[in-house]
Amino acid sequence: MTAHADHNSQTENIVYDDQIVKYFTLATFGWGIAALLFGLIAALQLAYWPMNMNMEWITFGRLRPLHTNAAIFAFAGNAIFAGMYYSTQRLLKARLFSDFLSKIHFWGWQFVILCAAVTLPLGYSQSKEYAELEWPIDILIALVWVIFAINFFMTIKNRREKHLYVGIWFYIATIITVAMLHIVNSIEIPISPLKSLPVWGGIQDALVQWWYGHNAVAFFLTTPFLGLMYYFVPKAANRPVYSYRLSIIHFWALVFIYIWAGPHHLLYTSLPDWAQSLGMVFSLMLWAPSWGGMINGLMTLKGAFKELIQNPVIKFFVAALTFYGMATFEGPLLSIKSVSALGHYTDWIVGHVHSGALGWNGMLIMGMMLWMVPRLWKTELYSTKLAENSFWISLTGVLFYYVSMTVAGITQGLMLNGINGEGKLMYPDFVETVTKIVPLYWVRAIGGALFVTGYLIFIYNMYKTIKLAPKEATEPVVVKVTRTGWSEKSHEPHRQLEGMGLAFSVLTFIAVLVGSVIEIYPTLSLHKYVNPAQTTTPFSALEIAGRGVYVAEGCYVCHSQQIRPIAAEVLRYGPASTIEESMWDRPHQWGSKRTGPDLARVGKKYPDMWHFQHMINPRAITPNSIMPNYPWLLEKNTDFLSLRREFSVMKDLGVPYDQDTIANADIVAQKQAKMIAEELEKQGAPKGLEKKQIVALIAYLQALGQKAVTTETAENK
Amino acid sequence: MKQEGLKFFTDTYLTIIGFLIFFSYFIYVTVNALRTPKKQINEFAHIPFSNGEDHGK
Repeated sequence: MTAHADHNSQTENIVYDDQIVKYFTLATFGWGIAALLFGLIAALQLAYWPMNMNMEWITFGRLRPLHTNAAIFAFAGNAIFAGMYYSTQRLLKARLFSDFLSKIHFWGWQFVILCAAVTLPLGYSQSKEYAELEWPIDILIALVWVIFAINFFMTIKNRREKHLYVGIWFYIATIITVAMLHIVNSIEIPISPLKSLPVWGGIQDALVQWWYGHNAVAFFLTTPFLGLMYYFVPKAANRPVYSYRLSIIHFWALVFIYIWAGPHHLLYTSLPDWAQSLGMVFSLMLWAPSWGGMINGLMTLKGAFKELIQNPVIKFFVAALTFYGMATFEGPLLSIKSVSALGHYTDWIVGHVHSGALGWNGMLIMGMMLWMVPRLWKTELYSTKLAENSFWISLTGVLFYYVSMTVAGITQGLMLNGINGEGKLMYPDFVETVTKIVPLYWVRAIGGALFVTGYLIFIYNMYKTIKLAPKEATEPVVVKVTRTGWSEKSHEPHRQLEGMGLAFSVLTFIAVLVGSVIEIYPTLSLHKYVNPAQTTTPFSALEIAGRGVYVAEGCYVCHSQQIRPIAAEVLRYGPASTIEESMWDRPHQWGSKRTGPDLARVGKKYPDMWHFQHMINPRAITPNSIMPNYPWLLEKNTDFLSLRREFSVMKDLGVPYDQDTIANADIVAQKQAKMIAEELEKQGAPKGLEKKQIVALIAYLQALGQKAVTTETAENK
Repeated sequence: MKQEGLKFFTDTYLTIIGFLIFFSYFIYVTVNALRTPKKQINEFAHIPFSNGEDHGK
């Protein structure tokens, strides 16, 4: 019993809802296998392009979003819910508010994942990283999250322990901030049952997207896991957290600072300098609270060295915290503009992300499950030896992955930025820089395979553990609890705050709101930053149709459309991108990784036939290319019918299309398609391509960087 | 002129206001946490081991 238990308080008998924790636990196991296998296949596709198998549903551009969504929302998501529901009930001494809401939360979330697993391979994507899912699923996610929030906050209201433990603070921050991020980033207008346009355009969309994207990492993959860490690490080590004082500073500093750091994904882009600097400065400031959390976690294990040797759960936790420390050291490092100039768009970022996702999240999940599953099923762990093996194999896998991708990224970054004494590019062919790192892609695939192996051993261990559970139906465990802390009269402000669920939640919301408003509000007035003399003409109808193909195929996964004002990039791709060039883009296609070259100015660089041949078989043009073939673009028809609706929505959002253009969008698009198809046919392409997606895509690619300044659009503005 | 004024405000003063809110609050929390006696503040670190737990260790 804690020292602050109320005197004369009544003892009550309660039963925790562990059934829902079991559901989420089993879902974690299943989706974890799927997420890791998708990742492994994607890794193999980059090392050996034929692994794309000429199948549109699993080609890299579609598989990569499926992998990231499965890893974040299915694997980590279910694990978060399992751990949160388990620990919250015990920390608050209260059964979850509603069994019914818990079940809706569980099945609703699984349905969301199922929808993602069907729509993403079919090419229904918004092309916003970690937010690719289309509008009906976005609405479903919001509804399920609200149900989760009601269930959680009502449990807080019904609690018997007045004081909210530090783990609960992090859960509160997670629930509030994820809701805010998801809703703001998903404001979109439907144009068909599975397609929509975001209200944000160009620079606005880029900033909102990376405010969301970065904070998806912060508030979906960091704060909930820190909350879990603050509960499960002390429990596994059987000793209280090292410093509660540090946890207070850690919490407030982290939630306040993290939300500002999104623009570090947009350094050297056409985002205003002040926003870039703000993102960089706050990213650097993140070092302190992140390491505060890591130190608090690791120091909790002070004096438990024997446990580290003997107990695999502690091993997983120590590895997780160490990777957390590494990733949160490297993140701010990569946010320094000069480091970003080298590392951004390369595999260094991929290595960094996976040291966090596999090392921090994956290891913490496995450690937590090893501790929790035997207790949930009232049995013993099946095999400590298997747990040890899964740990060492997984750890080796992460290290292979991280080292190979860091080396690959730095190598490619140096090659791409290399300029000789004559001021010319040392490696003018982009593909040279890719072939150089393909061996490292194989090492990464081996690392991924090792992690999958370790995870499968872990799953087998969990399966056998659950099988050891008593077969006969056992009575639910009744826990005796007392109401504690309610009679306390403290004059210390934060101590009071820690006992006030609503006030604490409101302050947390304000903390994340400040940074969000300061960063996003100014860019909502896009006209402030646009030079009226440099506005560009919007895309034609066929180009918009081709843009739809570009988005559906996930081209943004490997190609950026943002040339940075860095000498090597200007030499390689042309003048740096401007705000005006992407001002009509919904969603923006700036991208975040260059497995292939930037495409911002690819228009008219090559003839139509070049693009035609390149899409059918990239190696016919570039012998060592690792890009997949896209033969289905010759078979699938362009969706001309939805163009009028799409144009109408774009006009409502401020794109300067006149009524004639909207009314005749499909007709004009088909005319342009016919002209391109006839030209292609003259050069040897098959007949009847005018309705095919390949023609629309070529029209779009040829328009990139070609939208000249016009006084007409300036006047329309 | 109006646009220039708005741009100047958002690029400078709005950011400074944000900084001020952040630092004021953070300094307050830090000072507050440091001034609270260690014994009192660490009391709550034992909550995971309180009687709400059904599985002991």
